[in-house]
Amino acid sequence: MSTEPMPDFPPHMKRFFDAELETFRTHLITMGETSIRQVREAIKALVDGDIALAKKVVAADDELDQLEIKIDEEAVRYMSLRAPIATELRMVIVGMKASHDLERVGDEAVSIAKRAVRLAAEPPLKPYVDIPRMTTMALEMLRDALDCFLHIDTEKAVAVIRRDEQVDQLNKQLYRELTSFMVENPGNISRAIELMFISKSIERIADHATNIAEEMIYLAKGKDVRHDDAVKKGVSNP
Amino acid sequence: MEPSAPLAIRVPAPRDVGATSTIIEIEDFNFSYGAKQALFDVNLKLDARRVTAFIGPSGCGKTTLLRCLNRMNDLIDGTVINGGRIRIHGVDINGPEVDAIELRKRVGMVFQKSNPFPKSIYENVIYGLRIQGVGSKSRLDEIVEKSLRGAALWDEVKDRLHESGVGLSGGQQQRLCIARAIAVQPEVILMDEPCSALDPIATAKVEELIHDLKKDYTIIIVTHSMQQAARVSDKTAFFYLGRLVEYDDTQTIFMNPANPQTEAYVSGRFG
Amino acid sequence: MPAPVPNHPFVTRSSRGRLIEGAVFWLMRLATYFVLVCGLCVLGDIFLKGGRTVFQAEFPYVNVPFLTQAPETLYVFEHEGQKMQLGDRDFRAFREAATAKAKAAGQPAPQFRTESYVYSAGGIWPCIVGTVLLVVGSMSIALILGVASAIYLNEYAKDTPGVRAIRLAILNLAGVPSIVFGLFGFGLFVIFLDWNVSLLAGWFTLAFMVLPVVITASEEALKAVPKGFREGSLALGATKWQTIRKNVLPYALPGILTSSILGIARVAGETAPIMFTAAYVVRDKLPWEVEKVSDFFFQGVMALPYHIYVVSSKIPQNEYTARVQYGTAFVFLFIVAVIALSSILLRNHLRRRYQW
Repeated sequence: MSTEPMPDFPPHMKRFFDAELETFRTHLITMGETSIRQVREAIKALVDGDIALAKKVVAADDELDQLEIKIDEEAVRYMSLRAPIATELRMVIVGMKASHDLERVGDEAVSIAKRAVRLAAEPPLKPYVDIPRMTTMALEMLRDALDCFLHIDTEKAVAVIRRDEQVDQLNKQLYRELTSFMVENPGNISRAIELMFISKSIERIADHATNIAEEMIYLAKGKDVRHDDAVKKGVSNP
Repeated sequence: MEPSAPLAIRVPAPRDVGATSTIIEIEDFNFSYGAKQALFDVNLKLDARRVTAFIGPSGCGKTTLLRCLNRMNDLIDGTVINGGRIRIHGVDINGPEVDAIELRKRVGMVFQKSNPFPKSIYENVIYGLRIQGVGSKSRLDEIVEKSLRGAALWDEVKDRLHESGVGLSGGQQQRLCIARAIAVQPEVILMDEPCSALDPIATAKVEELIHDLKKDYTIIIVTHSMQQAARVSDKTAFFYLGRLVEYDDTQTIFMNPANPQTEAYVSGRFG
Repeated sequence: MPAPVPNHPFVTRSSRGRLIEGAVFWLMRLATYFVLVCGLCVLGDIFLKGGRTVFQAEFPYVNVPFLTQAPETLYVFEHEGQKMQLGDRDFRAFREAATAKAKAAGQPAPQFRTESYVYSAGGIWPCIVGTVLLVVGSMSIALILGVASAIYLNEYAKDTPGVRAIRLAILNLAGVPSIVFGLFGFGLFVIFLDWNVSLLAGWFTLAFMVLPVVITASEEALKAVPKGFREGSLALGATKWQTIRKNVLPYALPGILTSSILGIARVAGETAPIMFTAAYVVRDKLPWEVEKVSDFFFQGVMALPYHIYVVSSKIPQNEYTARVQYGTAFVFLFIVAVIALSSILLRNHLRRRYQW
C-alpha cells in the first residue's frame, strides 16, 4: 500500500455520458463548417455565375436543418436525463442557441444562392470586389466565433464582436454605391436591389457571428454581454 | 479565404442499441406481507443486458418486487404470492422444481447498505465460490482479479487483498459487494438503492460501473434518485401504491411521460 | 446587595425540580458506595484470612501441601511437654515411631491423649480437580445444547405462539432456584437413569441450570449479527446452514462467550445442584484413578463449594476449621477468576479476529 497521502481533490473523472456531450459539440462544429461552406459556395456561385453550384447550395440547406433538429434533440435529451450543471448546462443552452444562429446563416446562404441564380441571367452590374471582401470578413468572424467553442477564448470572441462594426460600414458603403447605380440608370434597379439584399444577407451573417461570439462569452464566463455597448465599442472587456 | 485546419474532434460511435431480448417476464404478479398486499397485478417485461430502473415513492413496492426476483422475500415470515408469476428465461421461478439457492446464484443482489463481510477483500470476493466448493487456488486468484477489475476496484485494492473489506471506504465497499456478486457469474444483478449511502463521487463511480456492467449483465436498480434513474437506466418503471403506473424508455419517462402521476413524480411535485 | 442578574436567557435558576434531582443523584451515589464497601469487606475478609492459609512467609511462599494434598483429620496432642498438630498419616507414623522407640528402650508404649478434628489438616487438591471437571464438562454440554437451540429459535423457527411460549419458558427457567435443579437432577439422573452420584449427573444438572442463560445470551448474540451478513450470503447462493456456519456463528461467538462467563461463575459456585448429584464429602482416589474409562463418568467428585459447605456447617467448629474454610474460599475465588479471565481473553481474541 502506498504511503502517499491522497490528493485533496480526486482527478477529473470521465463519465460515461461525456461521449454524448462530445457528440453534441461535434454536431455543432459540423453545422458551423457546413454553414460556412454554404455561404462560401453561394458567393462563389454569384461571382462565377455558376447556376449549378447555386442550386446545390439551395439543396444542401436541408443538411443544416437536420443538424439543427438533431442538436436540439440532443440538448433536450441531455438536459432531461443528465441533469447538467454549471459549464455543462451553459454548453447545452449555448449549443441550442448557436445552432439556431447557424441555421439562419444557412438560410442567408440559400437566399444569396437564389439571388445568384437570378443575377446569372444578366451581366454583372460591376466587378464583384466588395461583396467577396465582406463575405470573407463575415466568415472569418463566424469561424473565429466557432473557434471559441473549441478552445475557450474570450479575447477572440470580444474581437469578433468589435469587428461587426466594419462589416456594417462596408454594408452601408455598398448600399450608397448601389443607390447611385440605381439613380444613374433605372435598368440597373433590379440587379442593384438583388445585390443590396445579398449585402444585407452578409451583414446578417456577421450579426449571427456576433451573436455566437456573445454566446461563447456566456459559455466561458456565465456573463451576458448581448446588450452591453461598452463591450461592443471596446471600452470595457467582459 | 483560407480553409481552416480540420476540426480535431473524434466522433463517437453511435450508442449501440442492438436487438433486445426479454429475460424476465412478470405477469399479473400479486404479493402480500401477511394481510397487507404490497403488489397488485404487476406486468413487466425486462430486457436482457439493459439497465432497468424501478422508481417510486417509499412503500410503493419497488423493493418488494426486486426482492421477489431472487426470492429473497422467502426469508420473511408470512409473505404470500397471491396470483401471477415471474418467469426468467420462461421458467416460473416460484415453480415447485425451482431451487431458490440455484436461482440466487443466477440472480445476484447488491444491497442498499453495503455489507462486506468482516473478512479479507479476497475472501469476500470468493465467498460465493467457496460456498460452491471451488477450491483451486489459481482459479480463485483468477476470479478475484477478474471480478475486482469488473467492479473497477482492482487498481485500488490489488496491494491489500488480504486486508479486511470493512476497512474500505463506503463507495469501495459497495463496489466490493458488486465484485462479490459478479464473482459467481450471475446473469442478472439486482441493486437495491446501491448509492443511497454514498457521496456524489462514489455514486458517480458506481454509476460508471453499472454502465460498464450492462454489456454482460442484466441490471435492475431500485433508486430514490430520479437523476440516477435518468442517468444509468435504459428503461424505467414507475410504481405507486403497489401498482406499476408506467413503464417505458427512460427518455420517454423523463421527457414525455404518458401518465400525469409519473410526470408529477419525476418532476418532484408529488402529492 | 444581591449580585446583578446577568442579562441573557441562559441564567441558572434554582428550582424545586433541580433540588430534588440533586438529592436523588446523591442517594444513588451513596447506594453505590454502600455496595462497594460491603463488597470490599467480604472480599477483604476472605483474602486476609484465606491468604494466611494459602501463603506463607518462607520459600516457596505458597502453602504447597494445602494445594496438593487431600483433606485429613487433624490430631492435636501433647508429647513430651510439646504441643503437636499432625495430620492423620503423619500422626500414625509418629505414633508408630514413638511406640517402636519406647519398645526398644523397654518402656511401655506411650499413650497419646489426642483431640481430633476432621478435615482440618491436609489440603484441598481433590476439590480443585473436581470443581474444574464439573465446570468444564457442564459448560461444554450447556454451550453445545444452548447454542444449538438458540440457532434453532433465532434462525430457523418461525415466530409462532408456540416458539414464543418456549422462549418464555426458557426465561422463566432462569429464575428457578438451584436447589430445585439439584432435586430434579437427583430424581432424573441419579435415581431414574441410575447414574448414581456421578460426574455425569452433575454435569447435566449444572448444564440444565445454566442453559437458560446460555440460550438467551446466544440468541442475543445471534440477533446482534447484522442482517446484511445473512442476506449478503444468501444472495450469493449459500444455503441457510452455510450462511449460519460461515457468516453468522463466527461473529456471534464473542457475544456467546461473554455471557457464558457469567454461567461459568454460577456453575462453579453452586452447591445445591451438586450436593445430591455429583459431590462427595470425601473421596480418597483422584478422579483419574479409575479402572475403566467409563468409570470416570460415573464417579462422584469432591468440589470446592461443597467442601466449604461441609467444613463450615457439617463438622464441629473450632479454631482449626476456620483455617480450612477461609483457605478453600480463597482458592475457590481464585479459580473462578482464572476461568473467567481465560474466557475473557478467548473472547477478546475472537473479537479481534471477527471484527465487524
